[in-house]
Amino acid sequence: MALKALDIYKLLPKKNCKECGDPTCLTFAMKLAGGKADVDLCPYLDDQAKSVLGATTRPPIRLVKIGVGERSFATGEEFVLYRHDKTFYHPPGILFKISDLQTHEEITATTIRVRDETFTRIGSDLRFNGIAIENASGSPETFARAVATVEENADLPLVLMAKSTGALNAALVQVGSYQPLIHTATPENFREMCAVAKKHSCPMAIKAHGIDNLITLAKDCLAEGVKKLVMDLCPQSLGDYITTATAIRQLAITRAAPDLGYPVFMDATHPFLQDAAIALGIVKYASVIITPPLSPESSKAALTLRQNIYTDPQKPIQMNPGLYRVGTPGKDAPVLVTVNFSLTFFTLQGYLESSRVPCFMLIIDTEGLSVLTAVAAGKFNETLVRDSLKKFNVENEVAHKTLIIPGYSAPLSGRIEEATGWKVMVGPRDAAEIGEYLHEEWGKVPL
Amino acid sequence: MGYDLHFGWTGTIGKVILGATPGEGGTRKTSYSIGGGTTLPFLELNPLLRAPLVALEICDDPEYWSPIIRNYCGDLVDDVDAWAKTAETVYGADLVRLYLTSTRQRNFSDIASVGKTIEAVLSATGLPLILEGSNEPRIDSEVFQRCGETAQGERLLLGTAEAGRYRSIAAAALAYNHSLIAQSPIDVNLAKQLNILLREIGVQREHIVIDPYTGALGYGFEYSYSAMERIRFSALKGDTDLSMPMICSAIDSLTIKEVREAEPSLQDEMAVQWEFYTGISGAAAGAEIICVRHPKTVMMLKNAFASLMKGAGFPEVN
Ligand code: B12
Ligand code: SF4
Repeated sequence: MALKALDIYKLLPKKNCKECGDPTCLTFAMKLAGGKADVDLCPYLDDQAKSVLGATTRPPIRLVKIGVGERSFATGEEFVLYRHDKTFYHPPGILFKISDLQTHEEITATTIRVRDETFTRIGSDLRFNGIAIENASGSPETFARAVATVEENADLPLVLMAKSTGALNAALVQVGSYQPLIHTATPENFREMCAVAKKHSCPMAIKAHGIDNLITLAKDCLAEGVKKLVMDLCPQSLGDYITTATAIRQLAITRAAPDLGYPVFMDATHPFLQDAAIALGIVKYASVIITPPLSPESSKAALTLRQNIYTDPQKPIQMNPGLYRVGTPGKDAPVLVTVNFSLTFFTLQGYLESSRVPCFMLIIDTEGLSVLTAVAAGKFNETLVRDSLKKFNVENEVAHKTLIIPGYSAPLSGRIEEATGWKVMVGPRDAAEIGEYLHEEWGKVPL
Repeated sequence: MGYDLHFGWTGTIGKVILGATPGEGGTRKTSYSIGGGTTLPFLELNPLLRAPLVALEICDDPEYWSPIIRNYCGDLVDDVDAWAKTAETVYGADLVRLYLTSTRQRNFSDIASVGKTIEAVLSATGLPLILEGSNEPRIDSEVFQRCGETAQGERLLLGTAEAGRYRSIAAAALAYNHSLIAQSPIDVNLAKQLNILLREIGVQREHIVIDPYTGALGYGFEYSYSAMERIRFSALKGDTDLSMPMICSAIDSLTIKEVREAEPSLQDEMAVQWEFYTGISGAAAGAEIICVRHPKTVMMLKNAFASLMKGAGFPEVN
């Protein structure tokens, strides 16, 4: 059961030496109480205190970092079964899988793709996270060469997938210090695998079918001294995946089975069902997903689903209200009113940029609601427009008094004119038509 | 060790029957019973519970339908019976969802044509039918009455009732023993309120399918996803005003920016993937009828659902 910060504090060494990364033992205790830190961060705890605190204070699902540097990603540290209960924190890393039997050119091309491909949605750059390299050849030399090819081209998080420790060792000579995830330890080989993981202190995937076997294996690996684990459930069907992943998440977050408190690894390389596996992995608890390189269409859908599911349900992604410029607008440039929901902002901004009409965007505070939603909820109204015009000093920026409002807010046009004294033009409903609209209509406005 | 995947829930999702075979008083080749679940989607141990159903959406006046579908289906979209038949025989749909878009013309008044369209579609396909009637309060009463009457005995799913507009549709459902879709804008409480309103005028639980409204992927889908999870969750905790099966239709998928502005050679596949990722996630959140417009999405979803059911495996390559 959860301990209070003060109870935890009593068990700490009270040196205030900061080695845990916190300024004092007390702040560290508060973090532990919130499940936000791991007891192992304090080097001075005695074993007794460790065993009392360990199971109850560490995050119910351990944080495991994969890779180093800018593209590294964190997994785990999740607290809920449903995103609406709070939020999901660490979006699953999606890595493209290649085989060491592929040619140098193919491997290079996939690596460069993952390195460079970016899909920008609502102001965020969405990317795939890394490369998984499979030792399909069975040869340590070939494996090492493939890993070297990847490494020459990019500093990406890696998953090294090999059955033999020989192959892993050959690859780790080159990339051992970059925290690749090694895959995979089984009940048969875990001792040797643990030795490899420990030598390079890399995260390691364990693989067993069924919850009981996973618990046993996780315990065994922990006893060997490997803590940075992820679990490959090796499901027999997609249904089996969901069932097992849900049970694990539930047992881990309630701490009913603390030995299951590790991120989940999902192999989505199933013929015909790759997209299904990725989608289900995203919505149902996968933390590391490997897949063959995806088509452009699947890529966008998968990355968008991940972005959606991992936004915080308590706060829609919002912009700061204010007056934004597109290009370098002069005193006669149009002023377009819109809401502070990021999706709306970036959609409109994109079309305005391609219209090449320099203009102002007046972003009003609808608390992150879209145009139609804000109009329906009464959050987009004449008073807000009036106050925003004042607050952001629009009068001093332009030499006219004409506003363009979104097509969906047309019913408000009269009231906005009355409240503000500005002339109101109702723009198109669909932002895609804004360029044409501005070219046709704005020239006619007497300024 | 056994693990309880029921998390201590006591509620059950109510059942709704769609379609009627000759033995059941209709003319459909098959009928479906949906609902009956006792835990989260795809965790059921009961092998009798079915996979989510996939409905292909078609219409009787394609003027406002996405050009993507016209490009893919060709002239088929001008012939609603042939389209319905192809949905069954070629595209592999479980259900046909017919939108009577012809009624959306200005000053529409040819109610008799509605009856003819429905008859033609019913004889072209043996699949159970979801019927989207008028979109215009002025003619609602006549249109729904005609839908209900023409398809009497077929156990239609009639759409779509909303908080401000449910009486005509409820009247038609009640008079001719059909079920109806109750839609509310992405909010558990609004969904519940509408169900209560419907019950107050006599619509039974076993005749309601909840549509929590699905925003397209990237355009509000996360809200819909959570609304569906919460509705399912409330039902399992025992709230009988929310314990109806759900339908998920992300109709905006074909008009969003990513699809509309895809390169022509990629547009079809973009549309399919967008519908697919939305549909499978909607099913994972609890929807039992997934509606799509692109024919290619139908079998993709059905194959995925097959691998989600008890006893399934992964397909082999050879
Ligand atoms: C996701 C969503 C929600 C989310 C909120 C998301 C958000 N951050 O706003 C939630 C679940 C919270 C929600 C709540 C509600 N919602 Co809502 N929601 C939606 C949904 C599915 C998508 C909205 C969206 O993201 N659109 C995308 C953005 C980019 O669109 P946009 O802001 O309008 O911008 C476009 C244009 O307006 C234009 N544009 C934007 N700015 C400008 C500026 C200028 C100058 C110009 C020319 C053009 C322009 O460009 C953009 C792209 O074309 C829509 C359905 C739909 N498909 O629209 C329903 C919808 C908007 N909601 C609706 C309703 C009724 C509500 C509620 C009032 C329900 C209720 N009673 O609780 C509440 C109100 C919220 C509140 N706090 O009280 C109705 C509105 C009905 C109507 N016609 O008035 C809709 C249409 C659903 C429906 N069919 O019932 N909603
Ligand atoms: S490392 Fe341990 S002793 Fe040092 S400040 Fe942190 S908790 Fe206190």
